[in-house]
Amino acid sequence: MIHIDTWLYGELARYGGDKNERVFANPQVELPDGSCLADLLKALGMDTNERGITFINGNLSAMPGLQPDLNHPLKDGDRVAFFHLRSMWPFQYRHGVTMIPEMQQAMLQSEDLGLHHAYDAEEEGQG
Amino acid sequence: MYLVRVNMTDRTYQVTDIPEAYRHLAGRGFTSSVVAAEVPPLCHPLGPNNKLVFAPGFVTGTSAPTSARCSVGGKSPLTGGIKEANAGSSWAADLAVMQIGGLIIEGKPSKKDEYWGIHITWDGKPKVEFFDATQYTGKQLSQVFPAIYEKFGERISVCSVGAVAELGYSNAGVVFNDQEKRPTRYAGRGGLGSVMASKGLKFVVLDRAGAPGVEIADKALFEEGRKKMIDALRSHAITKPKGGLNTYGTAVLINIMNEAGGLPTRNFSSGRFEGAPKIAGEAIFETVKTRKGKEIYNHACSPGCIIQCSNTYYDENGEEIASCVEYESDWALGANCGIDNLDDVARMVKLCNEYGLDTIETGTTIAVAMEAGVIPFGDSKGAINLIHEMGKGTPLGRILGAGTATTGRVYGVTRVPVVKGQSMPAYEPRAVKGIGITYATTTMGADHTAGYTIAPEILGVMGKQDPLSPEGKAALSRAFQATTAFIDSTGHCLFIAFAILDIASGYQGMIDEVNGVLGTHWTADDVLKHGAQILKTERKFNEAAGIGKEADRMPEFMKTEPLPPHNQVFDVPDEALDSVFSEL
Repeated sequence: MIHIDTWLYGELARYGGDKNERVFANPQVELPDGSCLADLLKALGMDTNERGITFINGNLSAMPGLQPDLNHPLKDGDRVAFFHLRSMWPFQYRHGVTMIPEMQQAMLQSEDLGLHHAYDAEEEGQG
Repeated sequence: MYLVRVNMTDRTYQVTDIPEAYRHLAGRGFTSSVVAAEVPPLCHPLGPNNKLVFAPGFVTGTSAPTSARCSVGGKSPLTGGIKEANAGSSWAADLAVMQIGGLIIEGKPSKKDEYWGIHITWDGKPKVEFFDATQYTGKQLSQVFPAIYEKFGERISVCSVGAVAELGYSNAGVVFNDQEKRPTRYAGRGGLGSVMASKGLKFVVLDRAGAPGVEIADKALFEEGRKKMIDALRSHAITKPKGGLNTYGTAVLINIMNEAGGLPTRNFSSGRFEGAPKIAGEAIFETVKTRKGKEIYNHACSPGCIIQCSNTYYDENGEEIASCVEYESDWALGANCGIDNLDDVARMVKLCNEYGLDTIETGTTIAVAMEAGVIPFGDSKGAINLIHEMGKGTPLGRILGAGTATTGRVYGVTRVPVVKGQSMPAYEPRAVKGIGITYATTTMGADHTAGYTIAPEILGVMGKQDPLSPEGKAALSRAFQATTAFIDSTGHCLFIAFAILDIASGYQGMIDEVNGVLGTHWTADDVLKHGAQILKTERKFNEAAGIGKEADRMPEFMKTEPLPPHNQVFDVPDEALDSVFSEL
């Protein structure tokens, strides 16, 4: 088994054990060896579309509408943090931060090199 | 538009048309151009030859949304270089409605300890009257503002400085009224409050009654632009009603920066603070909900704002402690001092507002004092006491009021997070290297508002450079700084950048609004050129003031001390930093 130090912020805190919590929660989640990020979401009972900005050990792994981290393997002791969709992180304040390799590749391949706040045009348009 | 010059040496004033050279300048472009043209670069910032310049933006005072910003400029007592700081307030809109494109305060009275206010009304053109304001000095600002409203009526707007400006502190801001007539909206950075006080000026009171409003050259184009801007702000997830900023305020960034390992903690000794979730925007929103018994969304700092990101924080009895607890203040007085008591952070914000202190410089200074052992990290009561020392002007308070760099020097501290004498805001450059390049190179000293990302077209400036290489980051920083200088000239709040970056029609809307007001035909390229010209003007002033490229450097400890949790140093080479301005 591996042990994941999980941080859930804002509205997502309700997936941490107390369904009324809305500030933050820090559940310690046990997963079988070889689990990936999608397995952690499943264990929490949280749909991947409910999360926005995500970090694995302080490395950016997802942004709203851009989730290259679902198959990212987790290891014992990892710290994983999930943010709600009302969070934001303007480009100038994340320009040059560390990312997981999958995210770095996804950003470089995106048309705008990851300048935007969200990556799902349809959802953004609907507001 | 009019130019109003007020001479505090003999208390006279002149009203003229805006000179041709300044006709297509506003906001930061106006203040920086006047300072560069009229202030001797080597003058003492608190002497008679410095000038304090106020200018509304191009669209301030119109119905363009989120546009009531006023720029304040002068030579900074904190950096020794040129300074522009801006704030949102009805004061900015009133200045523009009275068709005052620029207000220049010059000279200095020969008598010390005598303070004056100016009351500007509309009498066919702006009319200035002086009143004795000495009785309002040395007091907390929340005691003073109601007296001014009582004296001049409820319709006025008020600009002032606090007691610490009267003491000449390098971290004293210029304060404006908010929508509730409270003294809470600060053009905070760089000590411009002390420049104002050095001229014996305590208040600038505006009464717009009868004023004609802003002239708009092409109303149809302006309306088109305004509508595009409104649509962008109302639909974007971050700026829309009940969106990120309206719900959680700017402090929504606390948890994000903390998880990224880029939240400067305990005087920039770590990038992660274990108490961050307790002081974050989510905690502010939920605490207020519990204490007031309902969800309270944020309010506007100034008329006509759609984003409405300002919070009010309440104590356990539901009584107001402070408005507003911004990300930067929350971090500076919280995480950076190792303090996770949100009530005490709010109390410190309130005290800074009362005494007239810049919250960022105050928090970073207290953290350096903590590093020196004056009080321990995490001691919120001790930190509150240090702010009182500053407000009361004790010898210790005066040292702290001189800012972070001076405090570090006095106590022999080597970890002093400043560039050009101004302390760094809440983004650790060892973790976020792009912002580090902007901190190092901006004309303002370390400044988080100097390089916003406003349009994807900016990527064109990089050519084939790798955006993750130091050279690529430098190219982007240069473009960010130029376009930000333009937004700072429009009168729009920088937060429109969030919406117009993602919604292209919003960006065009901003340009249409400005063209509509001025009758110009500026393009997106012209925006970049206009901003670049402002930067060149500022840079030239700084060089003549002795602040050249050697000052475009990070403090040494950031190049040698790895920052946990990522254990990185700031490793952008000097050549990349130099390229920001050499290739402008």
